[in-house]
Amino acid sequence: MNASIIRRLGIRRLAIALCGVGLLAAAPVSAKEYLVTGVKPNGLVVIDPAARKVEKIHRIPGAGVAPGTIVPSPDGKIAYVVTNHLESVSGIDLESGKEVFRADFSSGAQRVKAMFAMDVSPDGKELFVFQSPVRLLPGEYKVEDTRIAVFRTADGVGAKAVRTLPAPRRLAILAFSKDGGTLWALGWDLYALDPKTGAVRDTHKLLNWTRENFGPPDILDVWPQFEQAGVFSTPYFTSRTDLPPTDPSAFKTGVLTLDLASGAVATKEFEDTSAVIFSSVVNPAKRDEAFSVYTQLSKIDAKGGALVKRVDLPHTYYSINIAGDGKEVYVGGTACDVGVYNPDSLDRIGQIEIPGCPDQGVASLRMVKR
Amino acid sequence: MRRMNGTQRRRRRAGLLTGGLAGTLLVGGAAWAAEPPRPDEGNAKQIIAERCSTCHERQADGSLHRIDHVRKTPEGWTMTLFRMNQIHSANLSPEDSRALVAYLSARQGLAPEEAAPFRYILERQTAVVETPITDGDLSVMCARCHSVARVGLQRRDADEWKRLANFHLGQFPSIEYSALGRDRKWWEIASTQTPDILGQKFPFKTKEWADWQQAAKPNLAGVWAVTGHRPGLGRYGGTATVAAERDGYSVRYDLTDAGGKPLTGTGKALVYTGFEWRGTTTLGGQEVREVFAASKDGQSLSGRWFLPEHDEVGASVAAVRTGTAPTILGFSQEHVKTGANARVTVWGSGLDGGPVDFGPGVTVKTLSQSATTAVVEVAAAANAAPGARTVSVGKAKGGGFTVYAALDSVVVEPAFTIARVGGNGGTTAPVSAQFEAIGYLNGPDGKPGTADDVRVGALPAAWTLEPFNEAAKLMEDVKFAGTIAPSGLFAPALAGPNPQRVFSTNNIGDLKVVATVKDGAATLTGDGRLISTVQRWNDPPIR
Repeated sequence: MNASIIRRLGIRRLAIALCGVGLLAAAPVSAKEYLVTGVKPNGLVVIDPAARKVEKIHRIPGAGVAPGTIVPSPDGKIAYVVTNHLESVSGIDLESGKEVFRADFSSGAQRVKAMFAMDVSPDGKELFVFQSPVRLLPGEYKVEDTRIAVFRTADGVGAKAVRTLPAPRRLAILAFSKDGGTLWALGWDLYALDPKTGAVRDTHKLLNWTRENFGPPDILDVWPQFEQAGVFSTPYFTSRTDLPPTDPSAFKTGVLTLDLASGAVATKEFEDTSAVIFSSVVNPAKRDEAFSVYTQLSKIDAKGGALVKRVDLPHTYYSINIAGDGKEVYVGGTACDVGVYNPDSLDRIGQIEIPGCPDQGVASLRMVKR
Repeated sequence: MRRMNGTQRRRRRAGLLTGGLAGTLLVGGAAWAAEPPRPDEGNAKQIIAERCSTCHERQADGSLHRIDHVRKTPEGWTMTLFRMNQIHSANLSPEDSRALVAYLSARQGLAPEEAAPFRYILERQTAVVETPITDGDLSVMCARCHSVARVGLQRRDADEWKRLANFHLGQFPSIEYSALGRDRKWWEIASTQTPDILGQKFPFKTKEWADWQQAAKPNLAGVWAVTGHRPGLGRYGGTATVAAERDGYSVRYDLTDAGGKPLTGTGKALVYTGFEWRGTTTLGGQEVREVFAASKDGQSLSGRWFLPEHDEVGASVAAVRTGTAPTILGFSQEHVKTGANARVTVWGSGLDGGPVDFGPGVTVKTLSQSATTAVVEVAAAANAAPGARTVSVGKAKGGGFTVYAALDSVVVEPAFTIARVGGNGGTTAPVSAQFEAIGYLNGPDGKPGTADDVRVGALPAAWTLEPFNEAAKLMEDVKFAGTIAPSGLFAPALAGPNPQRVFSTNNIGDLKVVATVKDGAATLTGDGRLISTVQRWNDPPIR
């Protein structure tokens, strides 16, 4: 592998050097899409991926360092960002940079953190934020039940929750069904919640699954990247209990997909575990195809359960998204660049450097269309 | 400052008086002839009553909420006070904190028996692979993130352990999401089963603590015979002269290293909870921190000293009072080869009482002899019987010396340890790792690696690094992770992403550390494992 890595690095450098020439031909011409990511400290970055340039960097007001989950409004005008050390959400107008919405969760003796899971209703009117509260008493803390706080986006800056829904602990993803009738929540299991009451209408067992010869899967996905295909996807890692741990095929990596239009949930192993994967995205143009990211970019046949192709990345990337026509894959998070890849060859065909090289950390990489 | 009452003043004066005579009076079991000095508790009582109690309210039974229901080591209390300052704006000055640690360690500490199984974490020993606590999966629930010792060095009842669980998730809500906590309903277990098990296993009230509170505490003033081992540098030994001061002890070390060179210094120590020696000494020109435990009878001290900013560099310490039963504590060199001779320093107590004998086939020429040190020239005959020897110096006896003809195996110590990248403009210093090649004889069963193997001791070796496994080979860990010196000292490479590496990854590595020892015409190798990993950003007194 050493020699091939070096060889591949060489080719990649060549590709980067040539990307300025190839760019015009590769650039999508139709939809005006913008990538949105966060950077430390408190920056919200709008990128024109076709032009390979950073359009704007907005300042998120208030305390905090690392922007967390980012949820774009359905009209693509506002990005709701978890900020203030996970204790607030700020809605930033992507054009003007103005804060048009803000909800601060903590008050007095209650400290409330938004742990990753957040989504907006398809009509854009309500923002659903998963919260983990703790009561701060004079001499001790008391952990309280987790919940989903619902805010009216029209309430603007200073919004208060209009209702709170009970929620299982350890949620990391909230994703609305296309029709707005179901709020999907990923924690230990995948829950279908009633967005009005929080009632669990259906549970797709994951950690609690009872698959013969399979141990419970490990799933943690804090990157909502489902807007392009309308399909949420996440990697999972499991093990075969009927094989000895010394057998390389005892450990399996799979991809879970949830179709937000049909509600169909599928899990499929695609390889003997051989790479760390943080997050994935489904190709809107070929909906059985997923791309995943960490130190390597992988192309996965999610339906057939096969690893199609894998390339090394120049460094770790946590997040991934894709053009609406499926013609470019974007990898981001972790450092200060967004890499652009050809979905067929997985060649690096472009790169967007964020000025000043700020750290994107775990911020979401979202796509808005305007 | 606390005002002393009449009795205390008398006790102080009595302590000072007898302290001066300690060297002559403290013989046999009379270690408590004088009331031992205690760390100054300042106005701790007042701080607790007036300031801590604004949050820790007084309960119906008169106790203070939480404070009065926990027992910890001095380091444990130090961490608590640090957190009170950092998170809860307690505004404690360094003087306040010192007084509070002294006061709380005395009233709510751990008994010697309670702290004994976990002392390695206080001593900041390197390369300890902990024994898991299997009760209720405590090692999984607690010790995936910090040491088992950190749990085992606290005593609380179940309700107070439950408050600690609430603090954990309240302060670190990511626990439920982390790789170490998300494979189970961490909070549901941590808030129900775990506190009950901890309350049974490590309860607030114990017989050991009740007895230790009642026990007379030893006065540690006197002359001590000391030996220890500095990994990579060998053994050292000599005397420590300890004198009582107002609230602690002064100490003077007159030591020599394995090569006979002087290693001297002076320092000061406070003794918490009646037995927890915490010293700061300048030894051989270097400042070192001492974490020792005195035995309950005050006849021995043991522990470790280390550099304040590089606690991976240090030494073991074992000391006994001089003037008590004669004993051999150690040797500057633990072996002699048949047909060869060596200059060996024997360290111990009562070594001036008779001839030095290394057993049949070993002739001894005594070069110098004092109560704590005997320097001899030993020569092993070509036909001297290989094996472990019991050495005697007069009535003092001790094992740990071996005559060998040919080595049977070489073992690398430590067998498994870690180093950490550091430096490169970052805030965290690199953490090195020191290895030693230890020769062994097979013992009666003729097989290496079994319980009857006879330790020959540390030997010069050539050191090389190899990839520990296939992944390390692919990632070229040997090329990037660091270097090992002829002394067996591994120096990690610089911190930070390395653009020269695949994925620009850090200079971490999983390495096999190989020692090659020449023994006559034979060449023997042994190996250990080293994981050179990333920085530790948060390094509390108890990890």
